[in-house]
Amino acid sequence: MNHTMVVDLGYGDAGKGTVVDWLCATRPVHTVVRFNGGAQAAHNVVLPDGRHHTFAQFGAGTFRPGVRTHLSRHVVVDPLALAAEADHLAAVGVPDALDRLTVDGEALLATPYHRAANRAREIARGADRHGSCGLGVGEAVAYGLAHPDEAPRVADCRSPALLRRRLAALRDRLTAELGPLDAPPVEDCLPAFTGFARRVAIVDRAHLAGVLRAGTCVFEGAQGVLLDEWHGFHPYTTWSTTTFANADGLLAEAGLAGEARRLGVLRVVTTRHGPGPLVTEDPTLPLTDPRNPTNPWQGRFRFGHFDAVAHRYALDVAGGVDGLALTHLDLAGPARSADDRPRRRPRLRLCRRYDTIDRLEPGPPGDLDRQAALTARLLRARPVYDDAPADWPAAVEDALGTPVELTSHSPTAEGKAVRNRTALTPGAGAR
Amino acid sequence: MGSGIWSTDVYDAADRYRRATGASAFSYSDSGARTVHAALDPRGAVRESRDSAEHPQSLAITVLFDVTGSMGNVPRVLQTKLPQLLGLLLRQGYARDPQIMFGAIGDATCDRVPLQVGQFESDNRMDDDLGRIVLEGGGGGQMTESYELALYFMARHTAIDCWEKRGRRGYLFVIGDELAYPRAKAREVARLIGDDLREDVPLRQVVDEVTRRWDTYYLLPAGSAYAGNRKVLDFWRGLLGQNAVELDDLDAVCETIALTIGLGEQAIDLDEGLRDLRRAGSAATGTVSKALARLGGGRRTEVSPLPAPGTKRGGVSRL
Repeated sequence: MNHTMVVDLGYGDAGKGTVVDWLCATRPVHTVVRFNGGAQAAHNVVLPDGRHHTFAQFGAGTFRPGVRTHLSRHVVVDPLALAAEADHLAAVGVPDALDRLTVDGEALLATPYHRAANRAREIARGADRHGSCGLGVGEAVAYGLAHPDEAPRVADCRSPALLRRRLAALRDRLTAELGPLDAPPVEDCLPAFTGFARRVAIVDRAHLAGVLRAGTCVFEGAQGVLLDEWHGFHPYTTWSTTTFANADGLLAEAGLAGEARRLGVLRVVTTRHGPGPLVTEDPTLPLTDPRNPTNPWQGRFRFGHFDAVAHRYALDVAGGVDGLALTHLDLAGPARSADDRPRRRPRLRLCRRYDTIDRLEPGPPGDLDRQAALTARLLRARPVYDDAPADWPAAVEDALGTPVELTSHSPTAEGKAVRNRTALTPGAGAR
Repeated sequence: MGSGIWSTDVYDAADRYRRATGASAFSYSDSGARTVHAALDPRGAVRESRDSAEHPQSLAITVLFDVTGSMGNVPRVLQTKLPQLLGLLLRQGYARDPQIMFGAIGDATCDRVPLQVGQFESDNRMDDDLGRIVLEGGGGGQMTESYELALYFMARHTAIDCWEKRGRRGYLFVIGDELAYPRAKAREVARLIGDDLREDVPLRQVVDEVTRRWDTYYLLPAGSAYAGNRKVLDFWRGLLGQNAVELDDLDAVCETIALTIGLGEQAIDLDEGLRDLRRAGSAATGTVSKALARLGGGRRTEVSPLPAPGTKRGGVSRL
């Protein structure tokens, strides 16, 4: 069936959205399946005519007519943000996004109470912020773990009485712990959630198996492997498994274990939004990212040189990939632009080892003390740079021991090129 | 990590879903319009469902509903469900390239807008047509609407490639709760559609003509004024046989249409269809199963040969 799984091998923001859009633009894709994260994802896709959308809950293939989105049970679903996102999609010429959406009824809901609790906690952390987005995704996961039978889930939106009960219990527990929350009364929240249930197709677990047999699917990861809840640099991580693990599990449930290509996405500069280790950070790099402005929850968007040590580690904890997509190569492009004006080019470098560490060894998942110790070492580590490579894809391939199959030179699908002929070539390996 | 740029306001979201489910989707009508929207005017019109590079296997589907007062709130409820129809058809693979047209039926003897017909659309542009429909609201109270004019238009003013190229009928669903007038009157046809007929066309002949190219169903929903009224059901059973279907839950209309098409296209049997609906989270399986049991059991689909001009065939031979 030619399914592909796409994950980010950095701290996020490497360009998963644009890679998923390219996959959907170059072959017949049935459904984009989201398998982690929630509304805090921000996958930017730009069309040649300038239209742009930041995909949060809809799959990044939604600009392509007919491509559906499935939110699996591993996604934390935020119906409020979903409505706003659908409205924006309609404004940029995609009026039927909600019609092309299916949501697993078992998925946890993010509610205004989670969001308010999330913000209250993050504010209380003061200078020690974790880099949360303030949308309550982690809070929803935590509540779901603590109260698995009472946590509000997507299917509850079909039963207003049940949902009312669960929202009230949630509000009461969080209020008891944190004090009054800045969130509307339960009764006011209900119309939004029941409206969501009336409008969106809520399905059960078996739905995805049918979809996976009906056509080619793209599994779109959110965030980045280096932020993984078990393998990331604790405590600067997310409440989400950002490796292929969830996608692998969903495929196995459908009897299709191993039946998908694994694609890792990397940016030619290593970036991080939010606090935590970024060993190669270089504030003098003359780079900006208009899509990632400074915000009160994550602060400044940080740029660093290509950190092959960290990306190698991400590859190891993710269990390897079949190929890499390398984005933002225009930054490493020629010194003159197409119209022959000189470009201000950042001096990009490549880091293969740190001063005290040659290689980061993956530990067993979930050993957070070990991960915290690793974080402490990383915060002290200094990068050792090699000279800027002349051929970035070849250098990355060499440093990571993995082929670069796709290169991206612009935000649009048209700015992508298959490097050598691989299984990613449109039409190659088709059924 | 990303950032939450989409609004998460609860009041806003409730309003957005309300709009997305079409609670006030009849904006043209609600703004006070009392004449047919130019895009839906049947006068001199031919509506075409054609194959294209993007949709090589087009399948014409028409949904016409009664918009008079006797149906109460029915059109608005239908409107909230119908946009999902396309998604349901595509998602379950019942039809490869469905093209859907919406239209509305009133009473030519007393309504200002007795017939409105949109275009065949293969995407959500069909919502635009829905939004342009004028809801009459009045209603004569004589238990009769001008269904015959709508059927006449479908018989003589539509051109569909599924029939012309592949000999497969389109699907026509009429949702209503009243009787038709006994003949399509030449005077009304001239005024509303623009054809110059020398004499009236009897209803029976109109039905024969339309069922030649259209698999025609009459859906009589519960909650409408005359639902359960044997006279209405018997009237349509006499014209369409078991294709006159009673629905005990109006909310199930979208699913009923989808499954009827799935059955007709032999994409599924009834059990599979009901399983699909359950999997899609539909609460309507009971209603649909009841309504379609007669269609599903012992159903045989006859695909007619490519039509020879002038061949005269009556009744509903597909069932």
